[in-house]
Amino acid sequence: MKKTSKKLFISLSAFLLAAVMFLSTAKQTEVQADSPYRTYTVDGYGSVTETQTAYLPYATITKIGEEALVGPTDFTITKDGYMYILDSGNKRVVVSDMEGNLIKIFGQDTLVNPFGIYVTSDHTCYVADRDARSIQVFNADGEFINAYGKPNHPLYGETLDFLPKKVVVNDSGTMYVICESNTNGIVQISPVDGGTFLGYFGTNNTSASLWRIIWRAIQTDAQRAKSQGNIPSTPDNMAIDDKGLIYTVTRGEQYDTLKRLNIAGTNMIEADAYEPVPAATAVGNHDNVFVASTQGYIYEYNNDGELLFVFGGLDNDQNRIGLSSKVEAIQIGMDDKIYVLDSDDARIQVFEPTEFTQLLHEALYLFSKGRYTESKAPLTEVLEMNNLFDYANMAMGKALVQEENYEEAIKYAKLAKDWDTYSDAFWEIRNEWLKDNLVTVILVIVALWILKKLLEFFDEKYGILELPKELLEKFGNLKLIKEMRYMFFFMRHPIDGCYGIKREKKVSVLSANVLLVIGIAFYIINKYFCGFLFKDVREGDFDIFSDMGLIIIALLLVTGCNYLMCTINEGEGKFKHIYCSLIYSFAPYLVFMPFIFAISHVITYNESFFVTFPTLFMWAWIALLVFISIREINNYTIKETVKIIGLTIFTILIALLLAFIIYVLGSQVIDFVQSIFREAVYKIGN
Amino acid sequence: MATDRIKKSMSILLASILLIMTVLGCGDATGISSSGDSQNNSNVTSYKKAIVRDEAATAPASKELNNHKLVTENNNYALYLNEDVLSIIVYDKHTGKYMESSPSYDDGKVGDFIKGAMRSGVVLKMIYGIRNDMQADLCNDKTDRKITYTDDGFSADIYWTKYKLGLTLEVKLLEDGIVARVPDESIREDGNKYYFGSISIYPYMGSTYLDSEDGYMFIPDGNGALIYMDDKDGRFNSGYSSWVYGEDVGFDESKPATLLWDRYEVINDAYKILAPIYGMAHTDSEIAYLAIIEEGQERAIIEALPNGAGQIAYNRICTWFTSRRIYSQPAGNSDSTEVFKVLEEDRSHSDLQIRFVFLSGDTANYCGMANAYRDYLFEQGDIVACEDNTYRTRIDFLGAESEKWVIGTKIVPMTTVENIESIYAELKNQGITDIFSVYKGWQKGGLYNLPIDDYKTEDEIGEAKDLTALIKAAEADGIKIYLYDDALRINPDENNATFNTIKRINKIKYTEDTFKDVYEKFMFLTPARTDELLGKFVSKYTKDGVYNLALGGISNNVFSYTYNGKTYSRYDCADNYAAIVSGANAKTNLVLEQPFVYLWNSMDAFLDMPLYTSSYIYEDEFIPFLSIVLKGVVPVYTEYVNFEANKQEFFLKMIETGSYPSFYITEEASSDMIYTNSNDIYSSQYSVYEDTIKSYASELKAVNDKVSNAYIIGHEIGENGLTVVTYDNGVKIYINYGSAEISADGHTIAGMSYKVVE
Repeated sequence: MKKTSKKLFISLSAFLLAAVMFLSTAKQTEVQADSPYRTYTVDGYGSVTETQTAYLPYATITKIGEEALVGPTDFTITKDGYMYILDSGNKRVVVSDMEGNLIKIFGQDTLVNPFGIYVTSDHTCYVADRDARSIQVFNADGEFINAYGKPNHPLYGETLDFLPKKVVVNDSGTMYVICESNTNGIVQISPVDGGTFLGYFGTNNTSASLWRIIWRAIQTDAQRAKSQGNIPSTPDNMAIDDKGLIYTVTRGEQYDTLKRLNIAGTNMIEADAYEPVPAATAVGNHDNVFVASTQGYIYEYNNDGELLFVFGGLDNDQNRIGLSSKVEAIQIGMDDKIYVLDSDDARIQVFEPTEFTQLLHEALYLFSKGRYTESKAPLTEVLEMNNLFDYANMAMGKALVQEENYEEAIKYAKLAKDWDTYSDAFWEIRNEWLKDNLVTVILVIVALWILKKLLEFFDEKYGILELPKELLEKFGNLKLIKEMRYMFFFMRHPIDGCYGIKREKKVSVLSANVLLVIGIAFYIINKYFCGFLFKDVREGDFDIFSDMGLIIIALLLVTGCNYLMCTINEGEGKFKHIYCSLIYSFAPYLVFMPFIFAISHVITYNESFFVTFPTLFMWAWIALLVFISIREINNYTIKETVKIIGLTIFTILIALLLAFIIYVLGSQVIDFVQSIFREAVYKIGN
Repeated sequence: MATDRIKKSMSILLASILLIMTVLGCGDATGISSSGDSQNNSNVTSYKKAIVRDEAATAPASKELNNHKLVTENNNYALYLNEDVLSIIVYDKHTGKYMESSPSYDDGKVGDFIKGAMRSGVVLKMIYGIRNDMQADLCNDKTDRKITYTDDGFSADIYWTKYKLGLTLEVKLLEDGIVARVPDESIREDGNKYYFGSISIYPYMGSTYLDSEDGYMFIPDGNGALIYMDDKDGRFNSGYSSWVYGEDVGFDESKPATLLWDRYEVINDAYKILAPIYGMAHTDSEIAYLAIIEEGQERAIIEALPNGAGQIAYNRICTWFTSRRIYSQPAGNSDSTEVFKVLEEDRSHSDLQIRFVFLSGDTANYCGMANAYRDYLFEQGDIVACEDNTYRTRIDFLGAESEKWVIGTKIVPMTTVENIESIYAELKNQGITDIFSVYKGWQKGGLYNLPIDDYKTEDEIGEAKDLTALIKAAEADGIKIYLYDDALRINPDENNATFNTIKRINKIKYTEDTFKDVYEKFMFLTPARTDELLGKFVSKYTKDGVYNLALGGISNNVFSYTYNGKTYSRYDCADNYAAIVSGANAKTNLVLEQPFVYLWNSMDAFLDMPLYTSSYIYEDEFIPFLSIVLKGVVPVYTEYVNFEANKQEFFLKMIETGSYPSFYITEEASSDMIYTNSNDIYSSQYSVYEDTIKSYASELKAVNDKVSNAYIIGHEIGENGLTVVTYDNGVKIYINYGSAEISADGHTIAGMSYKVVE
């Protein structure tokens, strides 16, 4: 009995203790869960592939102590482990520890409609208050100490309002402020003399696409005045790193939505994939950068802008952990946890790196410091967990090159599509091969030369090669073969060649067609099977039917349009002649391509000249032949030829436009007929 | 914090138990015990019944309770009815506790509509025009009613005069609870304005106000999850609402809501409900129920709403039986064409029936529910105890995949028959022969050359006779190899899919997007075609004297469809699949991939058991509900270990749930599959997993050998990450998910570790 009452006492006190704990602690729900989202990384071609979960949902903070947040828009995490949350709906700053326990609240009296917050290492808190039109500064105790209003400087712009939305501050106290409807860039304010305007910073460039230029050219003045001007977009959010570099994110662009700006305001990062609607950015502890999109996607980049992970996503009323409704801010804790502030759900979600990510970070760190050999151990583990992780394959390739293990390196470089490393490793391997086999190669060449001489000698003496020669000649004199062989003559003597086509029936449509087929075959072989370094399609990607279709349609279009233009411009050429001469003009392609193809397998970027120069030379030759044949077949002057080429191009454009219109109208008609049919079926059915 | 809530409720529980015991004068208080020490091991039937009530005589129940009058009573329970709104109370005669179908506490803040739903025994969402959410209930709407009393319950004919809709509600009291039923033939739609949209029977059964009762709702998400009935402070504006057996692809757009860069699917699908069950426990009162949807489950939605959801301060969980649905009928092919909203031509035809199994005392918790469900499944013949439940490591092999080539595709061989032989030989050398394998992508053309209708292997991996020899040789060593067949899908790029593939209810061909490069979509075969092709394959395969077959696709998909102008319902589809699978089971040794409950009696093993949930934000606790049901009945294998980010935690989860590990293995490096549809298998090479397989095999075997044929009868999740699992053979397993060392019951369990106590 006594034992029981003792137990009772213990359990009651446990209950009381639990109750007290419950009252005092915040609403942080820790989860033990699988992630509801997938994690992707980018492969060497810039498209995404799935990888294992990089960050798992760790906790959700819905309340700070007993304080509920209303529409929070920004927060900052300090290095000593405090969160300063800008509780915008309640016009106050809420400070908590990393578990969501309330520390203090301030700012209720002065804040009007704040959007951005920044806290320095000495806990001075800067709040960008749009409707108060000022940056308000609070000391470590949360007492209001200062406010910076609109800069009183002619360069700021007299008529321009000061509507600060985001702020960061560097070590010397200079404030960088993003203002609403100020397209000049980030406003730089020095704390000296109650706020000195230092100038604009990190202005985004406007982009003038070709289409836009054409469009503006054909608009009337009135239309031009009405249409939206080509104004640079203002950055939407920013972060600052330990070195004082500013990271900005800008919405509404396709590229460069993330920038790392140095003191001069120059962008120093080029990412291999961009989020079109970024909401915020943060700097990690491993020279990595994070971007969060409004829709809840979280991106992690390394120092060079290579995308390591993208995960998360829009919750869409599914109510699943780790997904977001409207992300406003992202911060990284000292333990590499990611904190994401969601304004619609008024909560902070915490993500914890997995074992895989920790290993990757370790490798990343070693690799970026150039300690390649040391980085191999974590890299191997990363690759065991994910064979296809592009960044790890790339780093492994580089590390192996450092170790002069080129045979292995080339495998990783190929997987990672790291062409430079591949090229270097290949150079070394080839070099090695040459060293080992040079004598053999020379011997073979000498042997072949001797063999040739011997054959010639015996042929002269005994005529042993007469039969093969005769057969060859017979074959060469077959009509089709002869017509095809004409291309060698044509490419050297285009003027006479055209005469031959036009007057002497040296070629036939059949021979031209055969050459076309060979040409297409060469094109396809070269496109898909040329050396890895010179291949410009993805490995494992084949689409030969559209290749063939494209070539044939282009050929017919060019020939047809050219013929049409020639007939109304007193050209003499018949369709057949134009067709044949055009195909024969591509003779250099048939001659050069096999060599280029072969060379592409044995050279590296160091000697890429051997591929690029012949290619260029070949195309120049083809262009010349095309020009000459149009002139000769139609008996034009040079001036007329230039004119006819221009007209042909124009006709092609018109033809394409026409085809497009017919396609659009046609599909509309088909759709319309289908709708009527379906509706009829539906109505009758009911 | 949730843990503190648990702490609080646990402490209250503890305190109250101790108080009662002190008052009653029983000296030997043992603290909290989740369930089952009263386990009676009498093995009367072929299975062991986990929940047995002692038949102590109790006083008769009173004639009236909370405005409800006594209808009938038996040894355990009494049933009370309020004739005005047909609400009921189930009274536990052993404990004097009861559960109401309509919460008697009124916070005075709910409007008439909600109050109507809350109080009525039956609530409708009617279809009027294209609206499908018009409520009809027994409080706000005028009804003609006739109540007939029977020996064991009552039957009520209800007719909504204004809407010209009628149905009969029958409620029967059983020894372990009640059954509520609406017979199909009683459902009448006499008018042409209002139709049955969905029907809920006792939608507020056991509902509580805010945190007035300690307890939780059990939802069948993943393996199982709990939503605590604490005050949620209005944090959730919605709750769990999920179709039993997943969404119906015949109706719902399968397109995900958002795609990354308009191209990539980012959000994993939520787990499908594998069994139509849910529950509610009032832990203070020690009364709980497990609801089993017995009829109509193919068209049912389970809805669990924590307080605050929909601005209502009550916790509630219920079933909505869907009668008619509205679907979209696009007029043209392009996205811009007009879309009609069309009402399903006929209502779905099935009885609607829910069994509420009541639990009290130390079984009034989720573990009790799981035990009750196991008993129920045995009674119904829905599960059959498997003779061989011993531990095996599942090592699945991927044979061949395909990538694009100049014309068509090219085979990428990943694991050949010879490779498998040598892997087995190597493991055998290490003394590991407890192996279970599913061989995927063995068929001609590789993994995605579907459907399979012949026993022809891909040349690159070996000949059929080699494979047959391998299966037989392995069998002799005690290794089981199953050939995998996705009997649902057809690959339109490789095979003619013009005929015998399903159309959705709007007569548009159903296609499933893969978001991959080689094969961009698949279609679904009609069940008739599946039957035909599977039959062909099975007869050819078994002719060689090998019988091991693993089925996927049809094991966890069920849908409405149209074919040749005829419409087939989900009931038809489920019935067909059940027949096909049991037919296949008669001829083969069948294992199934994440199967729905109606197939559970046709399997030798359960593959791909989820060990987590879909991570809904309102879920407070993960519980291994399905694992408790199935442990000791059939061998249960997890999803692939390869792709788990936190391997240590996953390992502990396997120990906790008694499930066996699964690996997806290839001989070649997984990077070889970079240009195939399987490029999401980023880690699978045998050399990488060799050591893990060996260490898992020895460690998990040691644990599971002690419990392989035993049932889990107790499961407790304590504070600080300690979970205790009790088996009916007396073995207890302590699992510590925390990082710090924990002592309990005189045992010390290291951080992120476990301890087995016999």
